[in-house]
Amino acid sequence: MSGTDADLLRFEDVHQSYGDEKVLRGISFGMDRGDVEVVIGPSGSGKSTMLRCVNRLTEIDSGHIYIDGEDAAAMDENDLRRRVGMVFQDFNLFAHRTALGNVTLGLTEVRGMEKAAAREDAMGHLERVGLGDQAHSYPGELSGGQKQRVGIARALAMDPELMLFDEPTSALDPELIGEVLTVMRDLAADGMTMLCVTHEMGFAREVASTLSFLDEGKVVERGPPDQLFDAPEEARTAQFLERLTGLHDEDERSGGPRTSSDGHGESDGGEPSGTRRGERP
Amino acid sequence: MESLVLSPALPAVGELLVPLQQSDWEFVWRNREFLLAGTAITVLLTLSSVAVGVLAGLPAGIVEVYGKGRLADLVRNVGVLLRGTPIVVIFAFTFFVLPIPLPGGRVSVLGTEFGLDAFFAATLGLGLRSAAYQAQIFRGAIQSVGEGQMEAARSVGLSKLGAIRHVVVPQALRRSIPGFQNEYTIVLKDTSVAFFIGLAELLTTGFNLFVQESTAVFEVILAVSAVYFVLTFVTNRGLDALGERFTIPGEGSR
Repeated sequence: MSGTDADLLRFEDVHQSYGDEKVLRGISFGMDRGDVEVVIGPSGSGKSTMLRCVNRLTEIDSGHIYIDGEDAAAMDENDLRRRVGMVFQDFNLFAHRTALGNVTLGLTEVRGMEKAAAREDAMGHLERVGLGDQAHSYPGELSGGQKQRVGIARALAMDPELMLFDEPTSALDPELIGEVLTVMRDLAADGMTMLCVTHEMGFAREVASTLSFLDEGKVVERGPPDQLFDAPEEARTAQFLERLTGLHDEDERSGGPRTSSDGHGESDGGEPSGTRRGERP
Repeated sequence: MESLVLSPALPAVGELLVPLQQSDWEFVWRNREFLLAGTAITVLLTLSSVAVGVLAGLPAGIVEVYGKGRLADLVRNVGVLLRGTPIVVIFAFTFFVLPIPLPGGRVSVLGTEFGLDAFFAATLGLGLRSAAYQAQIFRGAIQSVGEGQMEAARSVGLSKLGAIRHVVVPQALRRSIPGFQNEYTIVLKDTSVAFFIGLAELLTTGFNLFVQESTAVFEVILAVSAVYFVLTFVTNRGLDALGERFTIPGEGSR
């Protein structure tokens, strides 16, 4: 699966450090077009750094990252970023611009579209994430879930080949997570290639083509999600998943939100369970 | 000899403290056009100095935040130098020492003449010093805009300059209004130091008046102070309104 020229995204022995602190210690993997890769791992394992290396918000020390066969390090960084969309944990919406203005900025300033055309295009993207009616709201007037959906629309507007999601639901109130995951599921269904750092295990099990467990800057284990959930080969993977599941069990006991990571019967139905989250009160 | 002649006309201390001499207020009123001319020059000097301050201070603030290497060092050091030098010394430098030619000629405003060279030197001195202070206002405002804003802008493919221009600066400018109100007020009042290089701004005209009619010192100073107060008050209200006009919906009050 990895290492072929057909890969849309390929990491080859990527190392990265902040000063003396080694964050990535030799990451290698590849993703095909249309793959959804979910990356999990403990805090500080290098998940976010790994994403940020793809669009060069963080530069790597050694190794290579290829986008569709091209070495990212050799690409113009603005060009690279136009091709790789990014969605942030804290949304990072442009606070002084409306939802629509957030989406149009890249269209007019990066893609060089006329204002009217950009607005029309941006409306299409906002409607795609279900926010056509909030186009003229400012970020401060939107809920967290709405903000994140604007963040997704803003990235989509650049017509990216690959989307990076950096814990897109971690800053959200539990009842707002579903609407964001629904949008992500729809994107995956439309064939978008997605590299997602998330601990939404339900999403991972249902949507991911591959699940990677990252620890101490290395991919400890990687494979189809069912395999990692049900029969992890590495003790560390098992331990980590157990801890996550434990947390969710607690949530369930206290009547709080639950993810489907603990519901083993869920993945076998083959039904589109994309609405499951959204159904929660 | 002269002091002997003048001394009988000097008011007693008690009289000085009673600013209600009708004749002295009438003296101020008779000279209202003269004071108005001084006011006009003060306003012009404030506007030109603040303009120089913004035009040089905003880029300087941006360079202080994002700049690297020699340019950033230069900007920082010049800023420290300007902030650390008394305005009178700066005026002495721009008026007497500056190795560039000042424009000659005199211009008349409402019947009061002033030298272009003094006006230019005062604008340069006040403007550059204001730029040094405004750079710090903008620096603080820029730094208060979260790093995530820059990253988000870069992540859609904007260049660093594009991100600064379209994302960081629009937000930073809004946040600099309160600090800018302070700075504007300080520039307005420090125009009075242009007295030192003979520019007939408001305080100088006031001074010229009370050397003519020395019983009216207090009245003239009160009148001049009232003008400064009105200018400060009106402009600050204007800037308040500007701040409200550009408040980002949903961001709460400033």
